Amino acid sequence: MNINAVIRLMSLLSLWMRTGEGQIFQPELTPNTFLARITSNTVMLKQPYCVFDQTCPDCEIWLVAGLCSANAIFDAQVNSSTPNILSLSPYPTAFNSSSNNFFLTRVGLLSDFPCNQSSNDQYFVVGADGKCSGINCNGELPDGFSVCFKYLLIYTNETLVNSSNWSVNIDLPKLLNLHNINDGLSARSGAMVVITSILCAAVALLLLLFFIMLCITCCTKKESKEISVTNSIRIPRYDTHDLKNRVHPYDNPAYQSDFKNYSTANTLPKDVTQKL
Amino acid sequence: MGAGALTCLMFVVIALNAIAAAAGLALFAVAIWVAVDGYKLYPISGVSGKDDIFAAAWIAIFTGFAFFLTCIYGIFAALKRSRGFMMVYLIIMFIIFLFECASAITAATNRDYLVGNSNLVKKQMLQYFADSSTQGKQITQTWNRVMEQVECCGADGPSDWIQYNSTFKQMFGSTYIWPLSCCKRLSTFEVEDKEGCMVGKASTIFPKGCFQHIESVLSRYTWAVSWYGFSVLMLVFFTLVIAMIYYMQLE
Repeated sequence: MNINAVIRLMSLLSLWMRTGEGQIFQPELTPNTFLARITSNTVMLKQPYCVFDQTCPDCEIWLVAGLCSANAIFDAQVNSSTPNILSLSPYPTAFNSSSNNFFLTRVGLLSDFPCNQSSNDQYFVVGADGKCSGINCNGELPDGFSVCFKYLLIYTNETLVNSSNWSVNIDLPKLLNLHNINDGLSARSGAMVVITSILCAAVALLLLLFFIMLCITCCTKKESKEISVTNSIRIPRYDTHDLKNRVHPYDNPAYQSDFKNYSTANTLPKDVTQKL
Repeated sequence: MGAGALTCLMFVVIALNAIAAAAGLALFAVAIWVAVDGYKLYPISGVSGKDDIFAAAWIAIFTGFAFFLTCIYGIFAALKRSRGFMMVYLIIMFIIFLFECASAITAATNRDYLVGNSNLVKKQMLQYFADSSTQGKQITQTWNRVMEQVECCGADGPSDWIQYNSTFKQMFGSTYIWPLSCCKRLSTFEVEDKEGCMVGKASTIFPKGCFQHIESVLSRYTWAVSWYGFSVLMLVFFTLVIAMIYYMQLE
């Protein structure tokens, strides 16, 4: 019992020490929180330090990138057609409907990634070449799918020396169509409602008051309509009887004493001035 | 109404008209400030066809000056104690009141269409940025200026460029994820860290979105025209009610 526990502990310790050295046997996402770590067409992986511990001076590290559903297809094809690995699935036709759904692209020389220089600041962008046309170019991935990666250690004469495990599934987000953005009215703000309602009420009230004012002024005008009298009316003086040189019967004798105050010689009738 | 009370009412009418004339002149000045568009954000509303905030500002220029002139005429009409003059004054003021109402309501309503949420601005940016049409050039110029001066990227953030398909992605997607205007720059205007900016390293790119700035500027224009116009209209409403009472007491 004790020996079993010790063995178990030792194996766990050795495993821990192994991973403690940084030896991860599969491609991994870069641990930095870059904004473009996973876009709909590209993925940023850690550079392959400490993946393969072989010492192989002319070996190159290649990456298999493809849909996770094609993992088994790749593994089967690798086992069956070993000499032509690199041209198994050229990039331009890789993701067509009847194709293999993976492609291979070169990462770098094995000697460029020694274990003691491992750094998390370095990254490798899968899909950096965009829509390229080379057989093994680093073309972009299809959006909306789950993609998986695998490292291959290839010798110069295109023979496979070693291959890592498959990475975990990485889900690429689907690229959204900008025409689907709904840019209609979102909501009416409170300010707009307040301004509109109060101003409409104010206009209506003003109109109402205006008409009330007009009614009141027109009504009061009709009630108190007075005949306006001009200051003096000129009436021609008609003598119906022949009264020349005699006292005029239409003059009021009561005011004759005041004639000097109010009249001149021109305006008085002729017979009164003769009396004076 | 006694002669003393009528004189008092006349002075009230004159004082209110003087204040309304000053307020109308200030409305004229504020509306000119909006129409001049010092923040140079007109293309965002112009290209979308929803530029009624600026149309309302133009109306407010005319109504503000018209208020000024008519209120001065109103002072003259009140001094003359003439019913005819006061009636003309009331009718003209009412017409200008209607136009200014239209201006205030238009500005407030149109603002909701433009910047109620970031969708319209974002869609326009994705569609027209880096486009070669005249609208595209205007939008590109405007957005580059905003992103560089306000230190922001995209409408809600740099992720707008990643999540959506865009004209920019069609044209430059293989090299650039987002425009270089999103990157932090040195005082010599060179990009601080181009490689870091391209992958979205947090210290080399502007993480916040530009929508907040655009929304605040357009809201500022709108509130200048509509809320200040509203307050001038409330003052004019009060003035007109007093003027109507004065009219009834004349003769």
